[in-house]
Amino acid sequence: METLLGSIEQLALIKALKTSFFAYPVVNALHILAVGGLVTSVILMDLRVIGVIRSIDEQSLMRLLRRVALGGFGLAVLTGALMFAVRATDYAGMPLFWIKLGLIGVAGLNFLAFSLLRAEGMRRILAGVSIVLWPTVLLVGRFLGFVL
Amino acid sequence: MRRLRILLLAMALGAAMPVLPALAHHGWAWTEEELFELTGTVKSVFVGNPHATLDLEVEGVVWRVELAPPGPTVASGFTEETVKPGDEVVALGNRSLDPNEKRMKAVRVTVGGKAYDIYPTRVPAN
Repeated sequence: METLLGSIEQLALIKALKTSFFAYPVVNALHILAVGGLVTSVILMDLRVIGVIRSIDEQSLMRLLRRVALGGFGLAVLTGALMFAVRATDYAGMPLFWIKLGLIGVAGLNFLAFSLLRAEGMRRILAGVSIVLWPTVLLVGRFLGFVL
Repeated sequence: MRRLRILLLAMALGAAMPVLPALAHHGWAWTEEELFELTGTVKSVFVGNPHATLDLEVEGVVWRVELAPPGPTVASGFTEETVKPGDEVVALGNRSLDPNEKRMKAVRVTVGGKAYDIYPTRVPAN
């Protein structure tokens, strides 16, 4: 594991990113953009499912925002992986990093359950879980940058 | 429905306030006002984004010495090749307000008599 993480840090692209003046802040900014789009669309979808937003029909809203959320998630994973790779060994040694990944895993399972279940009451509960989980992931992620 | 909404809001607020470790490294608000000097041997060095760090072992305890982002750190002359594990280093800077936290932010790092001014404007005039 140590050697794998160490060799990730030694990749030419990652070594360039490590000391770059422009690229790293750009990757960081894209991560913020991606997370912003993801969390915002998740909250809007959850509020629609819970019933707080009623002005737009659920299907149209979900069709649009699910794409934004999935696109944001993909970009967040890509940019997050790049920043992780710069200090892979250190991040892998931080409990907070694994708490964040664990929370993302739980949020993923929650999404899976939501996609499979049809009962209205259950969907609302899962939306309630989602609306708490994703901002928590954001918060934990932000704290990661302050404890290394 | 109303009660569910209030419950969800309360859950969101609760989740937003987890107990997290002391904040570090952005700015100087988390450090003591007066300067502090630490002498130790290098455990590891990282000069890269988002900021450079130096781990120093002092009497069996490892201290995290924070430097600047890679740009200013390299501009001071300090690179990852400047020190290697086992080298003796003197770090001058400000330590964490939390006395239990073995962490400081260096304004100057001295290696083998050569000084690297990481934050030149914060180094007191000699």
